[in-house]
Amino acid sequence: MSSILGLVAKQLKSHPALIPLFVFIGGGATMSMMYLGRLALKNPDVSWDRKNNPEPWNNMQPDQQYKLFTVNMDYSKLKKDRPDY
Amino acid sequence: MSTLNRDLLLSLSAAGHNEKLSKMSETIEEKIKSYRTAPFDARFPNTNQTRNCFQNYLDYHRCNKALSATDQDVAPCDWYQRVYKSLCPMSWVSKWDEAIESGSFPGKI
Repeated sequence: MSSILGLVAKQLKSHPALIPLFVFIGGGATMSMMYLGRLALKNPDVSWDRKNNPEPWNNMQPDQQYKLFTVNMDYSKLKKDRPDY
Repeated sequence: MSTLNRDLLLSLSAAGHNEKLSKMSETIEEKIKSYRTAPFDARFPNTNQTRNCFQNYLDYHRCNKALSATDQDVAPCDWYQRVYKSLCPMSWVSKWDEAIESGSFPGKI
């Protein structure tokens, strides 16, 4: 692995214009992996432990926002409006 | 006179729990009377509301089971029924009702 990295570093030194290529491709890959990680761990539709946490969406608060970007939705004004039982 | 007051106080404190429950069912009654459509549910913010429909159906039956097991008034559970009737296609509801009657309903109630 380190020999491949050494090779790439040597080639980059002779062709420095390739550095933005690595930056953007690396950034894109990191962002997509981070989104997949957020989906796997934070999405309330995903249940990792069926025995102890079978319906994880029910653990959400009534004014908790999961979406990254909401248009026309004021989450601070929401209250719980379902009867308890 | 004093025994009357004491009995009144005792009955009030015993009825305090029932009063709180009846207050809750009163506000639920008001909400059910002024019901227009299913409110926004933060648990299901996306376009696909399938799970919202199924969850309210489950909640209606769970609420009925829980409240009738402790002999309370099942009127608050009607909120869930109104919501799932607004959201779910009728074919799904009739299919699930048949499954419940035949004992083959897959959800946990």
